[in-house]
Amino acid sequence: MKVVGITTQQEVYVGSKDKNFRINEFLIIEDPHQGDLMGEVVEAKTYNKYIPLSIHGDLADSSVIESLKAIGYNIEEDTIYIAKITLLNEALYPIETGSDVRPPAFHEVKDLMVQSDADEGLVLGVIKNTDQMAGDMDEQYKNLLYTFEEGKLLDQKDIPYIFNIRDMHQYPHIGVFGGSGSGKSFGLRVILEELMKLNIPTIVLDPHFEMDFSETESYMDKGKINMYKDRFKCMQVGFHIGVRFEDLSTQDIKNLLDASGKLTDSMSNVVDILFKRKDSYNSFLNRLNMLVEAQEEGSLDRINARIAGAASDLEREGWQKRKEIYLNYDNICPYSSVRGIIWRLHRLNNEGIFSKDIRPIEEGLHMGKLIVIQGSTRILQVFSTYLLNNLYGKRRGYKDAQYKHTAAEYFPPFIIVMDEAHNFAPKGYDSPSKSILKEISQEGRKYGSFLILATQRPTLLDETITAQLNTKFIFRTVRASDIQTIKEETDITEEESRRLPYLRTGDVFISQASIGRTIFSRIRAAITTSPHTENPFDELKSRVEEDEGKFLELIEDKLPINGDDLINVIKEIEEDTGITYSFEFFKEKLDYLVDKGYIQKEKTPFFDVYK
Amino acid sequence: MYNVDKGLKKTIIQLNRILSTKYGDVLSLDKKTFRDFIHENVGTITKIQRLNRENISLCAQKGGILGVDGSNNRMGGAYPHFVEIYQGLALSSIEGNRPIFKTDFYTPLYPEEGDNPLEDLSEGEESIRKRKLSTIEVEAALEGIKQFNPYAVFMDGSLIRYNIECSDIWMELREECEKRNIVIIGIIEDIKTSIIGKLLSEHGLLEREGHFYDRELLYGLLEYGEMILIDEGVTKKSDEGFSTLFMRSSQSPAVIGIDILDSQREYLEYMARLILSLTPEDGRGIPLWLDIVDREVRIPNQMIKGLLESYLDREILELFFVPERDKRTL
Repeated sequence: MKVVGITTQQEVYVGSKDKNFRINEFLIIEDPHQGDLMGEVVEAKTYNKYIPLSIHGDLADSSVIESLKAIGYNIEEDTIYIAKITLLNEALYPIETGSDVRPPAFHEVKDLMVQSDADEGLVLGVIKNTDQMAGDMDEQYKNLLYTFEEGKLLDQKDIPYIFNIRDMHQYPHIGVFGGSGSGKSFGLRVILEELMKLNIPTIVLDPHFEMDFSETESYMDKGKINMYKDRFKCMQVGFHIGVRFEDLSTQDIKNLLDASGKLTDSMSNVVDILFKRKDSYNSFLNRLNMLVEAQEEGSLDRINARIAGAASDLEREGWQKRKEIYLNYDNICPYSSVRGIIWRLHRLNNEGIFSKDIRPIEEGLHMGKLIVIQGSTRILQVFSTYLLNNLYGKRRGYKDAQYKHTAAEYFPPFIIVMDEAHNFAPKGYDSPSKSILKEISQEGRKYGSFLILATQRPTLLDETITAQLNTKFIFRTVRASDIQTIKEETDITEEESRRLPYLRTGDVFISQASIGRTIFSRIRAAITTSPHTENPFDELKSRVEEDEGKFLELIEDKLPINGDDLINVIKEIEEDTGITYSFEFFKEKLDYLVDKGYIQKEKTPFFDVYK
Repeated sequence: MYNVDKGLKKTIIQLNRILSTKYGDVLSLDKKTFRDFIHENVGTITKIQRLNRENISLCAQKGGILGVDGSNNRMGGAYPHFVEIYQGLALSSIEGNRPIFKTDFYTPLYPEEGDNPLEDLSEGEESIRKRKLSTIEVEAALEGIKQFNPYAVFMDGSLIRYNIECSDIWMELREECEKRNIVIIGIIEDIKTSIIGKLLSEHGLLEREGHFYDRELLYGLLEYGEMILIDEGVTKKSDEGFSTLFMRSSQSPAVIGIDILDSQREYLEYMARLILSLTPEDGRGIPLWLDIVDREVRIPNQMIKGLLESYLDREILELFFVPERDKRTL
């Protein structure tokens, strides 16, 4: 391998007669004057001067090449391999043409490749095309993981990619970008597995109900114990967790109501007027109800008449109160808006949101667990606003107290993970959760609160937040606008961005500010699996087969069935099993089985016989 | 826009008229009649097939094929201030990593022994140059034969050319080949003979007087894989001990020629099939092997210039070989 052609301080071409190059491979250029220089292959080509690409000229067809081989000349041996190499650090002078080039040994690239010890960092995958250097790698970096390629689990051959979580203190927040099917969710799962390995308190907002870690992936050795089972907890909003109504601010309650059903300006106004700080659910609802009841009476006279005609003191007192509220608020709170709020409030309450609190989450975080919060996107949007404000506030309170040397209750640092982050912090318009995410993205570093945001549409994610993501995992992306955004927001090169649409599932560019360059990597095989990996069409098929099997079992000992006897057979089945079929439906099912070839149908002059 | 002189345009129109009148008869000849004529008077038209792999491998087992070609580069201005560098190459198909190069040069500034400087300038100079080029090709071939003892030798161009231009050393090569039983053939990309044209005139098939070359007569006449094996006695080549065939060796309508020694005439058809096998069907009709040799022997002008600039004293270079016209900037 030698440096060929015209060189610069940044880029050289390397030619070889026998070694084919791979993109992202590392090579050392032995410049006689400047010493060893490290470079990375950014383009790889092969060329054979005897087999040129010519449309009009002689095209050596395969039979001629075979014939040449037969007379003893192998034209393919004249193929040469050419690589374009970008130096990692700019050289002082252009590289000397003709310099030797060699693959580096592990110790020469260790500092470039490995950022952390295996048991202290996130072991997320392998750095692609580093198998040549991995041979003399330290034992601690070997056999850490498997990769999953073309349906098979493969042993680790390359240098592992280990993300140094400690770097997040200086380079906070991670973005995970990639279209659907690019391996983004898998990548996120692997990140979460690793966070659990290190017992880092983490909150995952999971609108897809997929972040469950109790099932081991089918390709994994069954004997292997799933260490993640006890390190995470799934919680559903309204079922396990909810909000404490007394803690809500006016804005919080408006957000919540809005999530339940779009709020009009007038409704929003009603909340502003009627909601009092420290209101409980009941006190607030009561106030609303009384106003509505008073408004339904229609006029002050009629309310006065109610008071006068009250049967008991209690009733009188009640109407007195209603009158008071009516007098205060009737003219500014339209009846229909108040009703609307009551309706929304009921709906939220029925979902159970107000009957629970976030205590279990806090407890889980204190124990270093991964807390998965599940719910619909709408509910999660609102709930996360409340939750993050609350938790971030607590963590900030603790740290601020530390700075001020006053005492405060300990609250651990934590990581927030979100899939479909563009729903939570959209660009261009406001969403309830956006402001807290913005705040954490800008100041979270100080307090030890970090974000991991995954989205398939980086273009739709708020720009202030995107700018704060210091590490970006970029999976296959096809949309031109997203590629453009990625190009603007990361240090990936033009060549790399052109490869984005063609990346294989699970291959990823990792653009990391802490090391100042982009690493091409493959995410390791996840150990756990999402509960919905079954193909819906497989499900459909197995379901149909199950149904057919069941029905066949039912009628098997009743065969042959005469067409005029169906009623009696149906009766028998009903007596035996309690399953009732209508005549038409039963006949249809029999015909279906005939169609599928399970039973035969014979026509007789009077009726059909199924057997 | 370029301004074209009207006279120039007229001259070219005239050229077109002359050529089309001259060739009008030939071009309008009925293809079938023409083929029949050739069949009867020149040689049989036969269709041949490519060889199969095993058959070709036999060549390799018997020593492979030696491809021979030459190149010349000229640097400098008009006579006598120029130098020509010749390079000949013999490349064995089996031992491709041991090429045999031969080089020579010619400049009228230094007449060698045997060159007569008093001879007619242009005529003599031309033949010296031709002789030099042919000689190094033959020399390379000779050495190749001695080193590799190949099954066959492919020369680029007509064999008769060597006979004319450097007959002494050619005879040596010829005898060596016959002695060692090595088949030697010449492959001609642009045939310059006029065998068929002459016969046409003799038989009165062409009314018009004139010289017609085989190249234009045969253009498009043969199908892919068809060859004309020229009967002995039809051409004057046979007097000098050569046999010739014409063949359409690719889809391109042009026809190539193959020369072989009369003593080896029996191999002619096998050689034709071998060449057909080694020629890309969509190509120009020249075996890829010869193209590879040609590529290896060719020296880019830039490189010759560089070599001269590095190894000639600057004085000598400027004095003799840098024509003033090269310094024009417009």
